[in-house]
Formats: sequence, structure tokens, C-alpha cells
Amino acid sequence: MALLTVKNLNIEYTTEDGVLQAVSDINFELKEGERIGLVGESGCGKTTLAKSLMRLLPENGEIVHGEIIFKGENLVDKTTEEIRKLRWKDISMVAQSSMNALNPVYRVGDQIVEAIQAHTEATKREAIERSEELFRMVGLERKRLQSYPHQMSGGMKQRAIIAMALALEPALIIADEPTTALDVIMQDRILNQIIQLQKEVNNSMVFITHDISVVSETCNTILVMYGGKVEEQASTRDFFKNPHHPYTLGLQNAFPSITDIGEELISIPGTPPNLLDPQPGCRFQDRCPFATDVCKKVTPDLSEVSEGHLVACHYTDKVDEFRIKAKENSTWQFVQDRLAMEGY
Amino acid sequence: MSMYVIRRIFSMLITLFIISTIIFLMFRLMPGDPTASMVDPSIPPEAREQIIERLGLNDSYFVQYTKFMQNLVQFDFGDSFYYKTSALSVLRDKLGATVILMIAAMVLAYGIGVFGGAWMAWRRGSVGESIAITIALIFRSAPTFWVGIMAIYIFSVLLGWLPHSGMRSSGYEAENLFQTFFSLDFLKHLILPTVVAAIYFLATPLLMMRNTMLEVLGEDFIEMARAKGLTERRVLFNHAARNALLPVVTAGALFIGSAIGGQVLIEYVFSWPGLGREMVLAAQRHDYPLAQASFIIMAALIMIMNLVADLLYAYLDPRISYK
Ligand SMILES: Nc1ncnc2c1ncn2[C@@H]1O[C@H](COP(=O)(O)OP(=O)(O)O)[C@@H](O)[C@H]1O
Ligand SMILES: [Mg+2]
Repeated sequence: MALLTVKNLNIEYTTEDGVLQAVSDINFELKEGERIGLVGESGCGKTTLAKSLMRLLPENGEIVHGEIIFKGENLVDKTTEEIRKLRWKDISMVAQSSMNALNPVYRVGDQIVEAIQAHTEATKREAIERSEELFRMVGLERKRLQSYPHQMSGGMKQRAIIAMALALEPALIIADEPTTALDVIMQDRILNQIIQLQKEVNNSMVFITHDISVVSETCNTILVMYGGKVEEQASTRDFFKNPHHPYTLGLQNAFPSITDIGEELISIPGTPPNLLDPQPGCRFQDRCPFATDVCKKVTPDLSEVSEGHLVACHYTDKVDEFRIKAKENSTWQFVQDRLAMEGY
Repeated sequence: MSMYVIRRIFSMLITLFIISTIIFLMFRLMPGDPTASMVDPSIPPEAREQIIERLGLNDSYFVQYTKFMQNLVQFDFGDSFYYKTSALSVLRDKLGATVILMIAAMVLAYGIGVFGGAWMAWRRGSVGESIAITIALIFRSAPTFWVGIMAIYIFSVLLGWLPHSGMRSSGYEAENLFQTFFSLDFLKHLILPTVVAAIYFLATPLLMMRNTMLEVLGEDFIEMARAKGLTERRVLFNHAARNALLPVVTAGALFIGSAIGGQVLIEYVFSWPGLGREMVLAAQRHDYPLAQASFIIMAALIMIMNLVADLLYAYLDPRISYK
């Protein structure tokens, strides 16, 4: 049985301008010890999806439809108190903006102890010992437990939070862009550490990033999200070796991959769609170099192109042609011109 | 930290020195007979001349100023015309009465303000919150004088529950200092002025706490606290309110100075034998040495309370380190 099964998940935000469909019809499964990567540009609903797994959506956000089955139980139906008991003990999180995730008025050690004591019968002494052990695991000096957050660098804070996330050995850890706030060298170190620790602890993981070079090393499966939908789901191997969706192809151009060092970086012109009032058809149509009239009318469903490899595109049969064209600058220039003509 | 306190005390002394100088000049450069401010005008002219001579009021301002300052550093504020004893001994008891009333009112106002404000932020948008805001705003805009008189009218005159003025019943003699301030009789007298003063103080911490609390509730560490599976109560009080408290304390420090105005009014309305009331009475009685002394002591009191608030702030916020 899978540790986590997300079925038909739909999440909406109520805003002043109307209802925003942040996540639409998401399905995926996560096995024990498996790591799944969520990639996509900013604003594609990754954080929303991640938070919903802990029922941590802001007040104006709501799961309007779907199920989140964790260890056989639907989290959507659980009461606040049931969810509270499950948080951190079973699912913990390294949040996107973890620079401010520590309370400035308490010592870092006390904040870890607090998390431990909220869910176990551990004495203060035992909780402190556990914190010391966790700090050793993430390579922080023990005396740092006595520090206040403002006395630590960004990298240290991030490690402290990773240590905290591991405190209760949760079955699932969600890492939402855990390194974006750090400088490049630190990003690398923290990332390696996360991979290392994940191997030691062997917990499952949802790893979110907008930088696809990161997921190649960390994840087994990759979900490409665009405009609140999954456009492509593939094993990491297929994702890099056999990508199908034009958005995936565009993303791969935009980031230096390990295999194609020296290639020119081309970013996808335009911005993710407005989710307040999504247009019919494929969410990617405006920015897709290969879009046709069909794409404007009919929303493509996810369909299997090979075992475990799902793509939401009407033209999966033309993938060979797409791949060649996607490498060319002119293909994307065409999108740029088209967007300009349409007045974007 | 101790270096900081020493520096602050030093700068307080300088400020007090400047304030004293201004007060010295104020009382002498006022239009009219300057000696009237120093010597009781109601006594016979010959005696008056004698006293003027004795007090050195015919000397140059410079000589007078030096003498004034010399006396001041020895805590000699001169003798009160009205009480015929040293101004300092008159004010010593009054200072205690003022400090007790002020602290009682502040504790009440900040206690209700901080918890009430946190509650309002938590229940934002509810009917209860709207009612609380309305009440707070009414309290803030209601004239203290009027509230005081209404309170006296209702609770003393109509209901007869509480005494309407003073600090103790007439005829009551305390056996010792402890009894002066902690007897039931005293506490009964304390209730009305404390509540009225607290009403006057309340709006600031209440509304401020509510607003900063709303801000803090949007912070990342609050989401983290929730993610950690802490109870909502713990998130609210240990994490959100604890941080929202910081600006409220800062505001409190600044507020103390402006609170004195209200304090004077309340002491006056309730005939509370405090510094504020004595200040008004001394001015009315043309008892200038006493008025001068109460000005200076009041200024010192405000500065000390400010310092205490600053130190409290440093204690509450580890990011602040005073050096
Ligand atoms: N609290 C919120 N209220 C309203 N809209 C929100 C809120 N949080 C996120 N959104 C919107 O939901 C969409 C998805 O956001 P998010 O999940 O943060 O994406 P990502 O993590 O991929 O950058 C965006 O369009 C964003 O503007
Ligand atoms: Mg995000």
C-alpha cells in the first residue's frame, strides 16, 4: 500500500477578485521511502499542494474536492485535533521561507524541544538529548542549540529546521524549495545533506523546486505542475531522457542540466496563466510553440505514454519533432512574438 | 547591560539638569513680580523684604541659579509656602500615592489590553470583536473627567459601594507603612480611580496588540508553529502574542509620558493625594517651591519608568542587546 495517495485534489483560494483555482485534479501516489519531485515555475500551485498535505492552507484556501489518503486514512475528513496530532509526528515540513520560520524570541534548541514534547512523553532532558543528536546529524555544533535565530546564518537556520523536521522521524517530509533562500554554495551543501539524511532515515519525501537540476539527484518520480495541474508525470529517468510535454521541454531548456553543459539557456516566454478565470483548453496554450486550435478548445487529459509515464498533451505522437524544435531558439522566439502580437 | 543602564542614568541626569534650568527660568522670567513666585505675597511687606533678602532674590540671576542648582543636588527644593515644611517631605508621600495608582492602572489596562487584543485578533471579523473595538474607541474618546464623575456618581452616590474620594477614610490611621498601602480601606479607595485611569489607558495597548497580533499571525514562524502540531492556544499565546507584545511594550514606554496628563486629571477628580493633584493645587495656591519640586520629580518619574520599559523590552526581545 502506498504511504500517500492523492486523488482528484482541487484547491481554491477565495480572493477579493474571485475564486482562484490553485490546484486542479491532481492525482499521485507516494510509496514508503520514495521521493517525489514537484517542479514548475513560481505560481503553479506547488506550495499550495504541499501545504494541503498537512492541512496547513491559509484561511482563504480550501480543499474543495478530492482525497488525501495518508496511511490509509483520508486527511481531508479529519478534525483539527486529529490533524494536529499528525502534524510533525507523521508529516513534517521544511518550508519555502524558512529564513523566518524560527520564532525570533526563543532559542533554537527550545523550539526543537517544543516540537518533540508536543507529540511525545519525552522529558525535557530527553528532548534536549535528542536535539543534540539531531544537530550532530546535520553538522551543527551542539552549543548552537543555545543560539537565538538572529545569531545564526541562513545556512545554519536551514540546517536547524532540517534537524527539527527529522526530530520525530516522520514517515513523510515535505521540502518546499528548501534551498532557494541560500547562496549557491550553501544550496549545494544543504541539498547534499538532505539527500544524505534521506538515505539514512529512509523517509518518504515530497521535494518541491523550480530548479529541475535539483530533482535529478533527489527524486524517484517527478511531477511537472503548470497552472495548478499536472502536465507530466514520469520517473526521473524518463523525465530527463524521454520528456514529452512542451512545458517540460521548455523547462529543461531554462536550466543547465548535468548532461548538456555549455548549452544556451532559453527561458519560456510569458508567465503562468491567471488561475482566477482559467481559459478553456490546455493551460499551457499561450506559451506553447506547438499549440493548435484543438489546444484552445479541449483540455488534454493525462494519458500514459509508457508505463508510469503520464503526459497531458494532445500531440504526444509528435514528441520527436517537438524535442528537436524545442532546442532551437527560434521556436521560443516565435512564442515571444505571438505573445507580443496578442498584446501581452 | 549595566553599562547601558549607567549611560542611561547619566543622560537622565543631564535631561533633569536641563529641565530644572528651564523651570528655574520659567518661574523667574514670567511676567509680573518675580519675587511673588518665591515669597508668599500675602505676608506683611517688612517681613517680605526680609525673606527676599534672606532668599537672595535681590542677587543677580546667575548667583541665584548657582544657588538653586546647589540646593537641587542636595535634594533641597525649598519650603512649601502652604505647608511650611520642606517641599520634598510634602511630596514624598504624594509620590508613593501617584506611583501606586499609576502602576495599578497600567497593570490593569495592559493586562486587559494585551489579552483582549490577542483575543480580538484571534476572533477577527466576529461580532464580539466589533463590539470590543467600539467600546475601546468610546473609552478612548470619552473625557476622563466625565468618566470619573460618572463613576463616582454611580458607584459612590447611587450604589454607595465605593468611597468617592481620597486615599483613606477620615479618622483612619494606619499603624505602619504597610497598612497605609495594603489595608482593605486603601484598596477600596484605589478601585474607582484605578478603573477610570485604566479605561483612559486601555485603548492604546488593546488596539495596538490587536493590530500587531494580526501582523504576527501572518508570519512564517506562526505557520511553522502550526506545522509542528502545537495546540492553537500555544500558537496563539506562546508564539504570536509573545511577539506581538514587543511593539506594545515600546509604545507603552512612549505612552507613559503622555499618560501623566490623564493621571493629573484623575487624581484631581478623585481627590487622590498624589503628585499630580498636588501639582495643580500648588499652582493654584501660588506655592511655587512646591510646584517646581513636583515638576522636577514628575519628570524624573517619567524618565525612570521609561528606562524600566526599555529594560523590559530588552528582556523580552533577544535581538535587542543594550551595550
Ligand atoms: N493565500 C493565498 N490567497 C490567494 N491566492 C494565493 C494564496 N497563496 C497562493 N495563491 C495563489 O495560488 C497560486 C499558486 O501559488 P503557490 O502554491 O504558492 O505556487 P508555487 O508554490 O508553485 O509558487 C498562485 O497563483 C498564487 O498567487
Ligand atoms: Mg511555492
